[in-house]
Amino acid sequence: MKQNKFIRFIKSIPTKIWVVLGAVVAIFFFLNDFDLVDIQKTAIILAAGIDRKEDGYTLTAQIAVPKGVDRTTGGTSSVNFIAEGETIADCVSDIYCKTGWVPKFVFCNLIVLGEDTVKENVFDALDFFLRNEYMSDGCYVAMSEGSAEDLLTSTSAIADTTSQAIAKLFSDANVNSGKTMKMSLREFAIGYHGVTKSGYMPFIRQHEQESSENGGGGGGQQQGGGSGQEEEKIYCAERTALFYEGRQVALLDPEETFAFSMLEGKLFNGYLLTEEKGKPVSLTVLDDKGSVSLDTKGAPKVTVKVDLTVRLYNRSIPAEMEDVARNEVTDELKENAKKYVEELTQRVFEKSRESGCDLFKLNQSLYRSSVKKYDEWKDTLLSVVPTTYEITIKTAK
Amino acid sequence: MNKISTRQLLFFLAAIAPVGKIILMPTNLVHYAKNDLLFPAAMNFLLQAGVIFLVLLLAKRNLSLHDLIANKLGSVAAKIILSIFSLFFFFAALLPLVEQKLFVQSVFYDTLPSIVAFSSFFIFSAYMCAKPLSSFGRTWDILAPLSIAAFAGILFLSVKSTDFGALAPAFGTGAKSVFEGFAYNMSWFLDSAILLSFLGKIDYKKGLPWKGLLCYLAGAAGVLFFLAIFYGVFQDTAVNQQFAFTKVARYFSGIETLGRIDYLFIFALALVMAFYAILPLQAGIDFLRQSFGSREKRFFPALLSVIVNAVMLGLTIFLDYQYITLNDAITVKVFWIFPVFCLLLPLLALLLLIRRRRETE
Repeated sequence: MKQNKFIRFIKSIPTKIWVVLGAVVAIFFFLNDFDLVDIQKTAIILAAGIDRKEDGYTLTAQIAVPKGVDRTTGGTSSVNFIAEGETIADCVSDIYCKTGWVPKFVFCNLIVLGEDTVKENVFDALDFFLRNEYMSDGCYVAMSEGSAEDLLTSTSAIADTTSQAIAKLFSDANVNSGKTMKMSLREFAIGYHGVTKSGYMPFIRQHEQESSENGGGGGGQQQGGGSGQEEEKIYCAERTALFYEGRQVALLDPEETFAFSMLEGKLFNGYLLTEEKGKPVSLTVLDDKGSVSLDTKGAPKVTVKVDLTVRLYNRSIPAEMEDVARNEVTDELKENAKKYVEELTQRVFEKSRESGCDLFKLNQSLYRSSVKKYDEWKDTLLSVVPTTYEITIKTAK
Repeated sequence: MNKISTRQLLFFLAAIAPVGKIILMPTNLVHYAKNDLLFPAAMNFLLQAGVIFLVLLLAKRNLSLHDLIANKLGSVAAKIILSIFSLFFFFAALLPLVEQKLFVQSVFYDTLPSIVAFSSFFIFSAYMCAKPLSSFGRTWDILAPLSIAAFAGILFLSVKSTDFGALAPAFGTGAKSVFEGFAYNMSWFLDSAILLSFLGKIDYKKGLPWKGLLCYLAGAAGVLFFLAIFYGVFQDTAVNQQFAFTKVARYFSGIETLGRIDYLFIFALALVMAFYAILPLQAGIDFLRQSFGSREKRFFPALLSVIVNAVMLGLTIFLDYQYITLNDAITVKVFWIFPVFCLLLPLLALLLLIRRRRETE
């Protein structure tokens, strides 16, 4: 009975209403792409390189493309598109204009800043990425030796795209070893907009790969208009660029980068190179309790602490089997390691002090503990604060 | 039974009401109070909790707000007051709806979608607003556990990326900033006013006011913890991080390997939010139904719902690129409307009860 009523009700609805409803649904359907990504019309940007020029910027966009007919190799292929404009958004619209592709930054995992870019406040360029709601600010930021364009358009010897090869440098294993420091756009922006106005990012250098004929997975990139054999490159990020108020103010060398990592307490399974009887010896760092703390009772004082637990890893001379089995770290080795670590940490702290880059967030610590003291000390804290170093090297039994 | 049970009401207070405060309110709080954002939020929550307690005391009489006022001031006065309340609810609904629209456009699409992409929401809204409140009660039974699980999931994924030290120094921004944060975020605290529309439809059980108070405070504690995490993750850039709950968990280390697993929780919360965003509209329509509806006018709420939602659809399209102006107008220029309708008038309603009691005695 109920069913009959329902059928009668349906039949009583005029056909016109069904037509109108159908039309409305059709309009909704055809007005939207329902978030389907048409790969032929979309530029999926994997990495962006920014170089400053006199009247604006050059944006090098590494765009993922299908590998075409060569489906057996898998992986990602890319093309590099170089756009110019007065703002980064202008460069992006240049990509749109010249290729017809809609640039999408959803998968952009790396922003590279060229050497010319970092001479002035980089946040004029990074502004575009911070405002972009459709891009994660968790992407890596890095500075390149030379131009970002040169770096991104080079051919990687170890991966299909340079952005993939560079991102590999920021693996947890590599960062924990102290060989490199990684930085995300979010953390870099927090440092710049915070009371320290400071930050850091890895400094990427490229080296020609020797015997590049059997260059592994390289060659996936298609260089726009390029011809002939490209030199294959490998990359390293052993140096760290320091920033103050958005400008690069100093560069930590590989040893200082290692020490910085130690002070951040990030080191695990890194290798500390020291010496015994004039011969090099490598120690494995099994535990790192590094910290830089500010004592705000009375006049501010800084204590730089490094507490390492190490094990002998490798000598550069032939050793007795007993020594190989016991891996004993002698007092001389410990003492030398302690001196070396102290010297390195002093170098890093002094570089931070001289450059004005508040690498250890001393101003932030002071601000959080007392606004009044911060107002009193904010201009001089970094340059005058007395520092004591407490280095402890322990051995794993 | 056309009533909401005690359990459903407590679910609403503990798990549904808090979710409307984690989309754009965190950014707005940071805009005024910076790292002191917890204080203005806590002040608003405490005031709301107090008024909610009093409104739940009113629920004991088992009379609708219309009947309460009509008994005291007459039917005409009741119609006028409820009509004014309806207008307030339609006005107050605008910000949550625009907020929902911006959230959907930003999070569910990877480029700016067309202007009509959000329109279908109003079909859902028109349908729900025409339904009696008891339907909402049943949805809360389903949505509340979902909301609690999703909220806990987001907090769990984001807590490791949080630097709670960023909340120091307390009161570093000064009393004026904290007060501005308190006043200019009142538009997100409609819960006590919405509760007025529930009067007469609550299956009152002994101890409900205390239980309601505790549940609301539990939800508030969850939101405050979320706000602490939000500021701890983004610190001085927090003011730029709209749609806070969609962003805090994406720095979880496992996401690099597993992908955006936080989307599971974001989608779950988005579902809960959709139901919460239409509550002011439902409350406004219900007050008009109480004033001008009758058993004979069965289609009155449905007709009202269609008209109101059509107007809201038009407004959200018309105001598509005017969010900052709209936000400024509602949260700053006429912020005083919210304490009047959400704090002062519910308190006056309680006076009706007290005087009524005295008369009875």
